[in-house]
Amino acid sequence: MTVQSVSLVIAGSGGAGVVTAGSLLLDAAANAGWYALMSRSSGPQIRGGEAAAMLRFATEPIMSHDDSFHLLMAVDWENITRFSAEIPLVAGSLIVGDPAHGDAPVALLGGKPRQAALAMTEIAGKIENGRPNMVALGAIAALIGLPPQAMQAVVEKNLRRKGQAAIDASMAAFHAGIAAAADLPAIPKLPAVTAVSEPRWSITGNEATGLGVIRGGVRFVAAYPITPATEVLEWLAPSLAKVGGVLVQAEDELASINQIIGASYGGVPAMTATSGPGLSLMIESLGLAVAAEVPIVVVDVMRVGPSTGIATKSEQSDLNIAVYGLHGDAPHIVVASNSVADCLFTTQWAVHLAESMQAPTIVLSDQAMGQARAIIPRPAELAFIGQRETAKAAVEGERYQRYAVTASGVSPMAIPGTAGLTHTADGLEHNEFGTPSSQASDHQAQMDKRSRKLTQFNYGDHWADIEDAEGGAGDMAIITWGSSTGPAREALRRFSDAGGKARLISVRLIAPVQPERMAAALHGITRALVVEQSHSGQFHRMLRAFYDLPRETRSLHQAGPLAFGPGRILEQLKTWRA
Amino acid sequence: MEAAARKYKAKDYKSELKPIWCPGCGDYTVLNALTRALAELGLPPEQVAVVSGIGCSSRIPAYTSVYGFHGVHGRALPVATGLKLARPDLTVIVTGGDGDGFSIGGNHFLHACRRNVDMTYIVMDNQVYGMTKGQASPTTAPDWEGSKLTPEGTGINPFQPLVVGLASGANFIARVSSSDPVNMAQIIVEAIRHPGFSLVQVLSPCVTFRPEQAEWRDIVRTALVDYTDDAARAARRLMTDDGFNVGKVLYKGERPPFRPEFENTDGSIAELEAKFSL
Amino acid sequence: MNETSPDSGAIRTLPELLAHALAMESEAAERYGELAVQMETHHKTAVARIFRRLESAERKHLGELEEMCKKVELPHYAPWDFKWTGAESPEAIDTGRVHYQLSVREAILLAFEHERRAAEFYAGIAESAEAADVKQLAREFAAEEQEHIGWLEAWLGECGPGDALATEDPDPPLGQE
Repeated sequence: MTVQSVSLVIAGSGGAGVVTAGSLLLDAAANAGWYALMSRSSGPQIRGGEAAAMLRFATEPIMSHDDSFHLLMAVDWENITRFSAEIPLVAGSLIVGDPAHGDAPVALLGGKPRQAALAMTEIAGKIENGRPNMVALGAIAALIGLPPQAMQAVVEKNLRRKGQAAIDASMAAFHAGIAAAADLPAIPKLPAVTAVSEPRWSITGNEATGLGVIRGGVRFVAAYPITPATEVLEWLAPSLAKVGGVLVQAEDELASINQIIGASYGGVPAMTATSGPGLSLMIESLGLAVAAEVPIVVVDVMRVGPSTGIATKSEQSDLNIAVYGLHGDAPHIVVASNSVADCLFTTQWAVHLAESMQAPTIVLSDQAMGQARAIIPRPAELAFIGQRETAKAAVEGERYQRYAVTASGVSPMAIPGTAGLTHTADGLEHNEFGTPSSQASDHQAQMDKRSRKLTQFNYGDHWADIEDAEGGAGDMAIITWGSSTGPAREALRRFSDAGGKARLISVRLIAPVQPERMAAALHGITRALVVEQSHSGQFHRMLRAFYDLPRETRSLHQAGPLAFGPGRILEQLKTWRA
Repeated sequence: MEAAARKYKAKDYKSELKPIWCPGCGDYTVLNALTRALAELGLPPEQVAVVSGIGCSSRIPAYTSVYGFHGVHGRALPVATGLKLARPDLTVIVTGGDGDGFSIGGNHFLHACRRNVDMTYIVMDNQVYGMTKGQASPTTAPDWEGSKLTPEGTGINPFQPLVVGLASGANFIARVSSSDPVNMAQIIVEAIRHPGFSLVQVLSPCVTFRPEQAEWRDIVRTALVDYTDDAARAARRLMTDDGFNVGKVLYKGERPPFRPEFENTDGSIAELEAKFSL
Repeated sequence: MNETSPDSGAIRTLPELLAHALAMESEAAERYGELAVQMETHHKTAVARIFRRLESAERKHLGELEEMCKKVELPHYAPWDFKWTGAESPEAIDTGRVHYQLSVREAILLAFEHERRAAEFYAGIAESAEAADVKQLAREFAAEEQEHIGWLEAWLGECGPGDALATEDPDPPLGQE
């Protein structure tokens, strides 16, 4: 059944507290038993800039934002036009503004939304220490059907330190907002949830990534701050310490990747997180980890590139560098998270893959997932723990071969401290002992082995998430990856509700490619729609290079930071069916 | 002098691999001094790791019988930092040259000194890039005209590694000459024993691209004064010396090493997850 | 630097003498071996052969010495505590004194110089030591070094004009990493 949901934006400039208001609303929605997704957009200022919190609520799990918003609650209009493209408003939408700040900018009115006024400043002014953003929250609660007691609990928790007076003032403003909402036009309300059917979590993609790192067994993290990956590292710093791990702040990304290589060479599973510019700096050492066969995990929370690009906004445009960026033939692993919840699964899996194959593994997340907070069903416990094949003791009369050519391609690794197995790990091409070699035969043998260990590994069903419409796959498929999966998933659901048949293939294992599995997934498919958020269609090109795609394959790609709404994908499916 | 034979001899720390260094290269002496130092310390080979980047001197790890890591150009210090922080039980030694350490790896040098992780950095300084056929390095004199890349000389004043090391917080600073391997061994032993980041600059001539450096053995002199723990005095001494005072420790600091503990608290993953639970 | 005044008189007992002899002979053997490897690696076979022959002579000497030391408890010296007269043990050729184009004659002369230093070292002990057994053994060791010197003199005599020439290499050095 198509998701019953309500989508809204709270926008305002410095001091309006819209980001805080969004968080309070999300927490209140959690108390109300709902599911939610919140992302935010902001101006370039460090403090006090214009910002918008985009929220979607539903009584069942959601993966993506909707095509448009039911409500824009503008505490003021400062620079709001900077976000207008990110806030699609249509005929049924409602803009609520404060008359104290004048009229809504014309740029917001293209979709002919309804307009209404809420005197937030004036109402708040009548309450001692009352704030307009709490009045806005009250009105929103009334409009969307959020029970006031759900907010009461959140405010009490958040303002406990400020004292009862602050709580009372906030709640007074909130209730004044509820009262004032009686005069506002209606938008869809969500039903109250009487009993929550399953345990839920409130988590961001970046936190989920951090948790995946720890669950996978990583106990050493090197960190260099970069937006939008910093929160992964900030969450890990105290969390790692609680499970006996350590995080070190490095002097730059060159240092952070080499620190984790050193730690992992020492036998401690290790990772770092970065974004595009940092990944660019790490590339040379990723090649070192390939050649020296040191397992590491590098999470790239992608942002708009190239260069510094748009640091605070999302794009799926680091696919090429992640897959092809390394010089030489450098077999490595690239995986991609495809939802806030999946950041946990994929990252944990990545640690498992890296450790099992002694190879560097890049995890592609992005700003849209990383900095989004979602209320999701509690993720399942996963069995994946990094398991490195180690050499435990010297064999009498045999010199240890760190890079022994084995059937699996994986050579048991001696961890420093192990007697009798000392060796030098090397980024120079080497023979089986690790001795530098420029001989063609050694290069061939080691290349074969490094490649074989990745191609022969059994990735199981996790290589992709494959979902069919209720009526079956029919002959149509959406092939996508990463955060484009959310809208694609919802598009498939809507298509299915309308009786359409199609299959969703969200590729989690980007590299090494899985031609046989893809062929099986595309069996019977004659039309494929490739969906991605990149200007040049990087994913589409990659698919064309490595897979036999249906003859009729279309590419739906666009640059960030705008995300696809499910509607655009659905539209493609519908027109195709016709 | 102690009774009883030691468990390890210097040659126990050498591998079977034959060095590719030119005959007469100062780096042979460093290998000899390092292995003597390890023997004197009696460290089991498996408890020692030698980490390097790229360059002639960075080939040392494979010539030893301890655990080695030969990484990419300029990144030996961060690899060693990660290794030591993850494995505080190991004795970590970093070897490399002036180009590797002070040019491409310059930022790591500053921060390794600053961070003061307990390890020993032996820099073989020959004021030239040997692996790439003899270009000027950060420590080359500005008027050296021996390279096709800078036929008129670099015109840039040389980097002062020990002054910069001191200013950045290195906890132990010494300069030795490859013409005195026994003294070098003694200083390396001290450097390894001293807690924190120890910097040992070795004047190590390049016989192929800087044959004039053969004179160094006659120019170097044993430093007249013993080490100080006063950074200001050490700075004055280093700022005024001509780079050929060798054979003694110049500075020993008392700064405790950076050593984040793996806390091993009773925390569990379930506890972390509970915070997300509604 | 490093040329400290001879202090061989500080060696007073037989175990002290044996500890020095053992260190000196093993370092000499190892060093000759290392120099041979260096020269072999750079395809300087004639010079390498000289060092190999010397290595093998030193190994033989070392074997006998080790046999002699079996019954004696030797004191441990840190490398810098030995009573050498120079930077290293007198018989080990300073690795900085060789070079890529070392001629056969130069190699012999270098070895000659170090063997003579070894002989002088022992002779100094023989002269200054008070204990009769130390004197006697030092004298024997000195004589053995003299034997090596004799060989080297013979080899020097056998050198043809070509052996005095630096080995040629018309090719320029190669770039590596």
